[in-house]
Amino acid sequence: MSAPRLLTRALVTSFLTVAIVLGAVFAVLSLRVRDQVRQAVGDNLASAQQVFTRVEARRQQDMRASVATLAENPTLKAALDTWLTERGSANEQTSGELLATVQREADKIADRVSADVLAVADGDRRIVASGGRLAASWPRGVVIGVREDASTPSDRALAVGSGMYHVVSVPLQLGEAIVGSLELGTALDAHYARELADLSRGHAAILSKGTVLASTVSGPAARDLASYKAPDTGGAHTMVLAGETWAVQPLSQLGDVTFLALASIDAAAAAGQTQAALRSLAWVGLGAIALAVLGSVWLARTLTQPIDHLSQSLAAMTTGDRPRQAVALSGTSRELDQLTTTFNSLLATVAKAEAEAEATYLGAVRALAAALDARDPYTAGHSERVSRFAVAIGEEMKLDAESRETLRLGALLHDIGKIGVPDEVLRKADALTAEEFESIKAHPSAGARILKSIPFLAPHIPIVELHHERPDGLGYPYGLRGEDIPLAARIVHVADAFDAMTSARAYRSGRIPVEAIAELRRCVGTDFDGPTVDALIAVLPRLVAAGEPVEPMVVQWAQRARSA
Amino acid sequence: MSRRLPVIAALAAVFFLAPRVSLVGTLLAQGANGRVTGSVKLTLANSAPSSAATYERRSVGPRPKPQPELHNVVIFFSDLPATRRAPMKASIAQKDEQFVPHVVAVTVGSSVAFPNEDPFFHNVFSLSRGASFNLGRYPSGSSRSRVVTRPGIIKVFCEIHSHMSAVIRVFDHPWFTSPSDEGTFAIDDVPPGEHTLVAWHERIGERRDRVTIRPGASTTINFTLPVLEPGQ
Repeated sequence: MSAPRLLTRALVTSFLTVAIVLGAVFAVLSLRVRDQVRQAVGDNLASAQQVFTRVEARRQQDMRASVATLAENPTLKAALDTWLTERGSANEQTSGELLATVQREADKIADRVSADVLAVADGDRRIVASGGRLAASWPRGVVIGVREDASTPSDRALAVGSGMYHVVSVPLQLGEAIVGSLELGTALDAHYARELADLSRGHAAILSKGTVLASTVSGPAARDLASYKAPDTGGAHTMVLAGETWAVQPLSQLGDVTFLALASIDAAAAAGQTQAALRSLAWVGLGAIALAVLGSVWLARTLTQPIDHLSQSLAAMTTGDRPRQAVALSGTSRELDQLTTTFNSLLATVAKAEAEAEATYLGAVRALAAALDARDPYTAGHSERVSRFAVAIGEEMKLDAESRETLRLGALLHDIGKIGVPDEVLRKADALTAEEFESIKAHPSAGARILKSIPFLAPHIPIVELHHERPDGLGYPYGLRGEDIPLAARIVHVADAFDAMTSARAYRSGRIPVEAIAELRRCVGTDFDGPTVDALIAVLPRLVAAGEPVEPMVVQWAQRARSA
Repeated sequence: MSRRLPVIAALAAVFFLAPRVSLVGTLLAQGANGRVTGSVKLTLANSAPSSAATYERRSVGPRPKPQPELHNVVIFFSDLPATRRAPMKASIAQKDEQFVPHVVAVTVGSSVAFPNEDPFFHNVFSLSRGASFNLGRYPSGSSRSRVVTRPGIIKVFCEIHSHMSAVIRVFDHPWFTSPSDEGTFAIDDVPPGEHTLVAWHERIGERRDRVTIRPGASTTINFTLPVLEPGQ
């Protein structure tokens, strides 16, 4: 299994990091949000409690004040006092009238106060007449509770009939004497629980001795409510109702009756803000992951590209293809740049060593070629000249630098095979015998064999081997035709022929260039390649101007050609 | 002038006849009829508090001088036959937003006056079976009166000041009285025999006791009533 790519590694690392950080933030935030919701719900209930206390105190005070004023009703008092005096002994008719008067006054007062039910009671708190919304629940004759001791406050929670009421008593006085009372009842029922719930902006419950008198909580939570027990510490707390956590705030206590404000923390946490916060967090998370991915891709690219470049250069170096130029500094990181610099200097060293080795080889080859040329005084400097002519033709024919370099060395070595031709044959001024000519014709193949043993001269073999082939197929050693002959070999063939024609040879004296050119032109298509000959003609003046060691006659001709 | 003559004549008749009548009465008392004396004690010592006392006291307007509760007690025989007597003249003043006295006992046919001694208007009305009336509102210094014609309890109120009330007990016989400041009482000229003597107070109702009256003799009976004195 191969190691993962740097890009993959960077991606995975950054993705994991972001995911872990986001996960942690998400978890912490969820918990914190829950805490805050709990806090907020608790605060809400606490403020509801304060509002309730104030509003309720004010309401009771107002009610008592108004009832106290209404209790100063002379007709009610007179009728009640007279009826109480005369009941039993009185005749039915008068008693009925008095009772009707009391009832009428009770109805009038009930209209003016906000109690659910109002009763006029005698000194024993037995109802004489009642009015208000729930008057039917407080019939005549029912006793409204009995007070245990004098310290009990005048408002209490009392069971009257089947219901539970918050009862406020106001005495009806005649001078110092008290003849009866006005009793104001607020039913502790669902209606009241709803009012409490509105006040606390949540839920409300009214409990007494382990039973739920009324509550706005519905379903299984309402059943669990009966098990409510006030904690010793008092104040706000939480309790679990039907698996949900609720914040509970006692609003007030009236005897055995407890008023509670409740709010479900879970419901509050599920709703609104929390979800919105978590949703925006999710968006932030997605954005962060996207950024992390982009960032790691960019980082990996800036790192991997120079590394790739370096490793390709290294690979090229080891396979033998010489890297052409130094690797550019990427500037992405100091370490990479250092590596690149080191690689470049290594490259330079290698290149230098190679160049030295080549130079050494070249020197040797040159020396060999020079030695070969020196065997025949007529051909002294021939290889150097052919080499320069060939390069000049190559330049004219727009060959690239590499091909020109090949051309230069190939031309220099083109006659290396003549090392195997005897001096007598080479220097012979007379016509050669067929046998001697065969030995001459063998020199390209001999040169190729020599070069094959030197690896870095391999590219020059075709030049050496094929520089006597002719476009018409009458050349040697293979008799190749036209385009089958490599261009480099064709160029060297033309350059060789031109130098041979313009220089003196053992077997003939050199011709002047004009004649040589005419001869070249004449033999285009048979002996010589046309474009190559044209290139040579085009390049001749330049060669002369550059002071090439062309034969004196060639120089003269060139001067003539320039002045013409 | 001519309207005053009968009044003067009547006054003269009373002036001349009254000594003789009382002389006859004294003779009778020393002879055939008997006398009952006793005392009334107000205490809460061995009685349960009345339910009315459970409320805190509350007063409207200036707090008036409390009247002794003993004056609100009436002692009377409840089973003596109706005996017509001369009408009386009683008065209940309206003073400091109070009816003073709070309780009066009179015979049938008596006239009760309600002089207004406060510097503002008062009213007198009653819803009672014995006498349902309304004397209207009248200013300071004036007085209105009402003749009571039926025996029983008449509750009197003021429709301007709802905390004011008074009680008139009307009897069809002369054997009733109220205790003195010390709580003692005496009823003379009571026919002999076993009778029911009642001590009545507005807030506690009646307390009854059987007494035997012997001719020419005096019987003593004491009442203890569970009534709280004001300010106690």
